[in-house]
Amino acid sequence: MEEHVGQLWDKLITSVSDRSYKDAMITLADINKPLGIFFRALGGDGGLRIVESVATQHYAKRNWKHCVAGTGKYIELSWQDEETLHLPKQISVFPDAQLNKDLYYWLAAINAQCLENPSAVQRGLQGWFTYSQTLTREVLQRFPGLQSRYDRLVSAYLPTRYIDEDFNEQQQAQENAIARALQEPGSINQLPTSQHAPKSVILWPHPNPPEVIDISSKKKQQQNEEDEDEDEGQSSSKSKKNKKQNKRRNAERVDMPDDQSGFFAYRFDTIFGWSEFVNVDRMTDEDEDADQDSADKNADDMDFLSVARDSKSKGGKVKFDLDLPADSEDEVIFESDVMLPEWDYKKQILQPDYCSVVNYVNTASDKGELPERLRRTAKKLRQQLEALTTKRIWHRHQSEGSELDLDAYINYMGERFSGHKVEQPDLYQQLRSSERDLSCLLLADFSLSTDTWLSNDARIIDVIRDSLFLFSESLRNTGDQFSIYGFSSRNRGHIRFNTLKTFQESYNGMVRSRIQAIKPGFYTRMGAAIRYASAKLELQDTQQRLLLILTDGKPNDLDRYEGRYGIEDTRRAIHEARVKGLQTFCITIDDQGGEYLPHIFGNNGFTIIRKPEHLPQKLPILYANLTTNPG
Amino acid sequence: MTTEAQTAIEIPFYSPQGNEESLFEHAYKNQLPILLKGPTGSGKTRFISHMAARLNIPLHTVSCHDDLTASDLVGRYLIGDGQTIWNDGPLTRAVRDGGICYLDEVVEARKDTTVVIHPLTDDRRILPIDRTGETLHAPDNFMLVISYNPGYQSMMKGLKPSTRQRFISMSFNYLKSAQEQAVVEKETGIDALMAKKLVSMANALRQLKDHDLEEGASTRLLVYTARLIKSGFDPVEACLAGLIEPLSDEDDVVSALMEVVYASFGR
Repeated sequence: MEEHVGQLWDKLITSVSDRSYKDAMITLADINKPLGIFFRALGGDGGLRIVESVATQHYAKRNWKHCVAGTGKYIELSWQDEETLHLPKQISVFPDAQLNKDLYYWLAAINAQCLENPSAVQRGLQGWFTYSQTLTREVLQRFPGLQSRYDRLVSAYLPTRYIDEDFNEQQQAQENAIARALQEPGSINQLPTSQHAPKSVILWPHPNPPEVIDISSKKKQQQNEEDEDEDEGQSSSKSKKNKKQNKRRNAERVDMPDDQSGFFAYRFDTIFGWSEFVNVDRMTDEDEDADQDSADKNADDMDFLSVARDSKSKGGKVKFDLDLPADSEDEVIFESDVMLPEWDYKKQILQPDYCSVVNYVNTASDKGELPERLRRTAKKLRQQLEALTTKRIWHRHQSEGSELDLDAYINYMGERFSGHKVEQPDLYQQLRSSERDLSCLLLADFSLSTDTWLSNDARIIDVIRDSLFLFSESLRNTGDQFSIYGFSSRNRGHIRFNTLKTFQESYNGMVRSRIQAIKPGFYTRMGAAIRYASAKLELQDTQQRLLLILTDGKPNDLDRYEGRYGIEDTRRAIHEARVKGLQTFCITIDDQGGEYLPHIFGNNGFTIIRKPEHLPQKLPILYANLTTNPG
Repeated sequence: MTTEAQTAIEIPFYSPQGNEESLFEHAYKNQLPILLKGPTGSGKTRFISHMAARLNIPLHTVSCHDDLTASDLVGRYLIGDGQTIWNDGPLTRAVRDGGICYLDEVVEARKDTTVVIHPLTDDRRILPIDRTGETLHAPDNFMLVISYNPGYQSMMKGLKPSTRQRFISMSFNYLKSAQEQAVVEKETGIDALMAKKLVSMANALRQLKDHDLEEGASTRLLVYTARLIKSGFDPVEACLAGLIEPLSDEDDVVSALMEVVYASFGR
């Protein structure tokens, strides 16, 4: 009963204090794509992902309704960091949906300007007050068309600041200043002081964007650097966690407390809240969704997440290493210690000789057969592909053919009439498929993530294996030259490049047993693999050279090669390949690929296959489409 | 295929990006072939007509398409009055008469065209015509110019290195804002404020290249849009028709780009 009343009360008071208009709500998910384009067009960094911002605590005085309801403590604002642009998950400030939408576009515009003029960004309340006005003025100057929209937003927004509020004199002075700053940006320099922080301004960027603060001691850092292997497992599992969630949390990085003592508080008179880093092992078993959910919930409930580096190594690490395929004896090294550069986007330099590549081939029997279950599909695809790829044209000057070659005949007659004595040339033409001048290098991702089970009887790697089989089967008769390689990596010093078929080899039993033998291992250092592959492809003297990349996820490796760093390096590698005159195309089975792939490959340079099971059939068809429909 | 032989009467307006005019003149003096590369509508064709007029030599333009064969360039026999008449192709005509032969978007043409181009690009400077048995030697004022668009994701087409390496190459890009604004004003007679708005919008759209769009808005599109506006068409609608629709066929991209237009023209 008490609980029931409590729920009712909570519902009532929350709805009273909630001043948003749910009917006119616009969510970020609805307009993420056009918003991203708008942001980039106005000068925003193309490498930023747009994510829903987490509500952050603001320090302004709450009105009595919020206080009673216990709401309004957090507000969703916009800000950006190195990898992401944070925008509110939904906007429902205004009763008019168009205005809410306009607010999104305005936030995108002002954040794009933030980037154009980073010097304006200052810390502190006064700094925030002045730079927000500067940014607003600059945006309106560059895009005068936004003015009317901005005016509408301001005039609709200002009254909402007063709802349910009872300002004292100081606050009123602040409010007046903010109102003026909004109406005439740049007109006022000083924000009057008050004992309370002013209410956040939804049209301006976040006054104190949350940051990941690194307060680890020097000693710890050194230790970490010395022992790079030690944190490999952790950083990768962390990135795995981030990948699935389009929401970022406030976090700080702290020292692991050295002492063994726990947290202890003892006081009779008041109940008080306190949060401090307590060494709690929040273990989750990733296979069990329920556990993961509850951990997510816990994370949502926390104001702040603290992440520390444990000096103890994980128990799972042993298992981890055992999982890695050992350097087996049946490998023949083609080329080792090939040094390749890597792009560091932060420093904007190409670090020379940064990665080392080993190119090896598995020795295999030469009696590899196409698996029985693929035969029928292979045959069907082969026929389909033949029909698709062979563009038929008239071949002239044939000794026999279905039609008379009028051109040749006229030439011949002309020459005869003009008195030349010529032998009768070949005067026929025949409709035949034309020869193509194309080579294709297929680069497949053999990272450990491909070891994931898709269904009861297939892992991603199995799907990739089938795809490679069907791809080769389909291509063997088209006359296109092709080669197949796979790659995986473990740190920059160990990039494994598995040769399955070179351009020179023909598709035979040996190649088939090599494909049969592929197994997943290690990580995805995509940039280096692309550089190495494009060097191989570049040697092909054909008019068209296609680099086809088959992957299941983002570039990532054990060291800092993850997130933006990996993406920028891959983008750079792709750019280098295009400068060399190679065509690149990426096929991915990563559902989230839409977020980062356009930045790497361009809008038309990739495709996402939603159902990985379809990959084997789709790959050859895709190839056919790529190579027959230029433009 | 369209060909036109143009003789200089009035020098077409061209606003140089760098030293390309003097480079072109030196190449002409030394009989070197030239390759122009750059995005669509960045002034390649205009540059050639300007230079032809300036050097006072005829210009033979061939817009290449994917069915253009070597015999289209060199020439063919035609039947007439019970006899056959040899008819020179544009390339042969240019070699006979002298002047600039400009092969626009050369990658579009059939592969066999490179065979007739190659002997003209080295120091032999000859055009062998198999059908008539002639071998033409190019006169001193003959110059071969080809152009192509490297950024264009004409997915499977590129120039062979062996062809590329026969040409002096120059790269074209979009003009700097102020210069582009001047060009738009000069070409269309539109007022400075509007020209500025258009150029800043085009620059915004160009930021999307390689990520959301295949290519940015060209100077040519800007000029077209400005002409629509100048003749009294509604600016926002003109931008939709002249700048946005030509860039993308996807609805959500078009609507996002229109937001950029509204950001410049208001709503």
